[in-house]
Amino acid sequence: MEHVIIIRYAEIHLKGKNRGYFERAFAANMEKSLKGIRHEIRRQSGRYLVENFDDGEVNKIVKKLSKVFGVHSLSVGYKVDSDMDEIYRAAEAVCDETGKFKVETHRADKAFYLKSPEISAQIGGRLLDKHKGLSVDVHEPDFVINIDVRENGKTLVFNKFIKCADGMPVGTAGRGLLLLSGGIDSPVAGHMIAKRGMKIDCLHFHSYPYTNMQARQKVIDLAKILSEYNCGIRLSIISVKEIQEEIHKNCNGAYMVTLLRRFMMRLAERLAKKDGDQCIITGESLGQVASQTIEGMTSSNSVVESVPVLRPLCGFDKNEIIERSRNIGAYDISIRPYEDCCTVFLPDYPIIKPKLNDVLAEEAKLDVNKLLDDAFATLEVTEY
Amino acid sequence: MIYFDNAATTKPDDGCLAEAAQYLTDKFYNPSALYAEGYNLHLELAEARKELLSHIADPDEFELIFTSCGTEADNQAVFCGGRRGNIVSTMGEHAAVYESVQEAGRRGAEARFASLMPDGSVDVSDLLSKVDGKTSLVSFIHVNNETGAVNDVNAIAAKIKAKNPRTLVHCDGVQAFGKIPFTLSQNIDMYSVSAHKIGALKGTGALIKRKKIVLSPYIYGGGQERGLRSGTENVFGIQMFRLAARKSYLSLKENYQKISAVNAALWNGLDKELFTRISPEGGSPYILTVAARGVRGETILHMCDDAGLIIGTGSACSSNSAKRHSRVMTSCGVGDDLIDGVLRISFSKESSIEQAEEGARILNEVVRKDRELTE
Repeated sequence: MEHVIIIRYAEIHLKGKNRGYFERAFAANMEKSLKGIRHEIRRQSGRYLVENFDDGEVNKIVKKLSKVFGVHSLSVGYKVDSDMDEIYRAAEAVCDETGKFKVETHRADKAFYLKSPEISAQIGGRLLDKHKGLSVDVHEPDFVINIDVRENGKTLVFNKFIKCADGMPVGTAGRGLLLLSGGIDSPVAGHMIAKRGMKIDCLHFHSYPYTNMQARQKVIDLAKILSEYNCGIRLSIISVKEIQEEIHKNCNGAYMVTLLRRFMMRLAERLAKKDGDQCIITGESLGQVASQTIEGMTSSNSVVESVPVLRPLCGFDKNEIIERSRNIGAYDISIRPYEDCCTVFLPDYPIIKPKLNDVLAEEAKLDVNKLLDDAFATLEVTEY
Repeated sequence: MIYFDNAATTKPDDGCLAEAAQYLTDKFYNPSALYAEGYNLHLELAEARKELLSHIADPDEFELIFTSCGTEADNQAVFCGGRRGNIVSTMGEHAAVYESVQEAGRRGAEARFASLMPDGSVDVSDLLSKVDGKTSLVSFIHVNNETGAVNDVNAIAAKIKAKNPRTLVHCDGVQAFGKIPFTLSQNIDMYSVSAHKIGALKGTGALIKRKKIVLSPYIYGGGQERGLRSGTENVFGIQMFRLAARKSYLSLKENYQKISAVNAALWNGLDKELFTRISPEGGSPYILTVAARGVRGETILHMCDDAGLIIGTGSACSSNSAKRHSRVMTSCGVGDDLIDGVLRISFSKESSIEQAEEGARILNEVVRKDRELTE
C-alpha cells in the first residue's frame, strides 16, 4: 500500500490546442514548490499523482501544493494493486469511523472482474461490518470513499477533497511589477493577478531613517508569503527619502503624497522596463484614502507611458480585502504597526482631488530627472 | 562606533568572560549532582550568592534567588508578594513591574498607581496616600530607566512601613545595582537586579529578599534556589554576574565620579537651542535623557546610527498616535512638542569624556540636519 497525492487541475482543462503549454508550466511550478522534498510527479489522464515521498512529508507537500495556482483540489490516498482485499485495506485506512458515507467507484480498467457498483457494494458492506458507527447515505453522505481502478493494474483509494488555490499556472500570462507597500492591500492585489497566471515581481519604497528596519522586514516577510504562490519572487527596494525631502523643502506640503506617487510610478516604470515587466500592479482601492481618488489616480497614471497600470482592488471594500488578506496568510504581517514612507511628512490636509495643472506647477519646482536617477541608484534586489 | 545605549544592555566584560570561561569548559557539571564535581559547584554558587548580596545588603538578613532576568525577578515579587487587597505601584515603573501589577489587578487584587514628579521620580505623598491597611505590596523603581531619576528607596520604604507595617516593599533596582552607592535597609523586603546591565550576560538576574518574609515559589520543579525558583542553575551566567559585580563595586565611587563627568561633558556639548534636558540634575549619571525639539526620536536614532553613535529613544513611538508615547514620559508631563523627540543616552563604566564630546557633536549635527530637512 503506497501513499499518493492526487492533484486535479483547475481551468487548464478548458484550453484547446495550447493546453500542452499550460500543462508544462503547471508541472514545472509544482516541481519548483516541492524543491528539496523527495517526490515524483506523474501525469495521468487529466490529473497528476505525487508518489515516492516519505510518509512524514505528506502535510508539508499538501501545504505547498495547495498554494500552486492551477491546482483545483488534492486528495491524499493510497495506491494498491487492483485486488479486492488490497482495495478494502486501503479503503479501511482512509475511512472515518462514524458518519454517513458512500463508496463511489470509477472503473477505467474494463477488464476488471467486477463492475463499478459491485465494487462499491462489496467494499461498503465490509466497511459497515467493521465500524458500527457507519451508515450508508448515497444522497447526502458526510464523506465519500473514492475508488479509482486504473488500467495499469493499480487502484487509487481516497476520501477527502482538499480545496486549493485554483487559477492559472504562474508564468503563463506574462510578468508584472507589484508595488508592495507593507499594508493590507498590495499583497492581495499581487495574489489576485498572480492567480491569473502572471509572474509577479515586487517593488518597495522605503524612507530610512524616517522609516525603520522593522518596516522593511515586514515587506520582506510579505514578499515571502507571495513567493509561495508565485513560485519564487524578486523584491526590489528603492529609497525615496531624498525625493520626500526635496518635495518637503520646495513644494506645497499638501501635495506630498500626490507628487510622491508620481515619482513612484516613474521609478516603477523604469524598473519594469529593466526587468521585462509588462505592467504595474497597485493595491489602490477607489476612495479608500485621500490619494486614492480618481483624480489622484489620474495624476499618478499620467506619468506612466509604456505599460498599463492594473488596480485589481479598485472595486473592493476594505472588509473584502481584509478577508482575502487573511485567506492568503498575509493579514497578521500587514497589521504590524510600523510606519511606511507614505505617512512620513504627512500633511494635515492633503489634496484630495488634485488638478493636473496644479500638480504640474508644483512638480516644476523639482529637478525630476535628477531625483529619479539618484533614487534609482539606491535599488537593491533580492530573490526569495 | 560609540555605544551609548548601556541602559538597554552593556557589552560583556572581556576579563570576566575569560575568567568565567572555566564554567563552560571544565566546570560544566550540574550543581545539584551528588558527586564531588557537582557539589563543589554548588558551594561556589553559594559563595557567589553571598558575595553578590554583600555589595548592597547584610547577608545575614537577606538572601538571593537567582532568576533568568530582571523581569522574572519583578514578576516573582509582584505575583508572589501581592496576592490580596491592593497593590500600589507607580506610573514610572519598567513594564516588567507595571504590566505585572496590571495583571495582578485583573486577577483580583486592586492595582493602584502613584503619579510622578516632572523628573520621573515618584510623587511620594501620592504614593503614601494610596497605601492603606489592605495594601499587600508596594513596588517602585529605584533608578527610573527612562530618566535616571533616583528614588530614595530606604526613606520611602520607611514611610510606607510606618503607615502599614505588614505591607511588603519591593524595589526594581535593575538600573541601580553596580552603579550608584546604596545599602538596603530592613524596610525593603524584595529587590530585583539584572546582570547584563553591568557587563555580565543576558539571561541572569536575581531577586534579593529579606530572609524573614515567606514567598511562594514562582517556578515549580526540582527545588533549586530553596524551592523558590526551580530549574538547573545558570552557572556560567551567575559566575559572570559575580565577577562583573565585583569589578563594578571595586571602583564604584571612581566610576560614579567619572561617569558624572562624562554625563556633564555630553550635556555641555549639546546645543541648548536644539535640546531640552529631561533627566534631573541629581539623578543617576549613567542615564541622560534629553528631548530634541521638533524632530522624531526614532529618525534621530537611525541617523546617529549611520553617523557612528548608538543611542536609545525614550519611547517606542512609531506613529503619530498619542497612545504610542512612552507612559513614563507622558506621566512626567513632557509636552507634545518634545515627546516625539525624546532620546536616552546611557553610559557604562567604559564610557569616556572623548566619546561624550564626539557623541554631542554627532547629536547636534544630526538634529540640525533633520530640522533643516523637515521644517
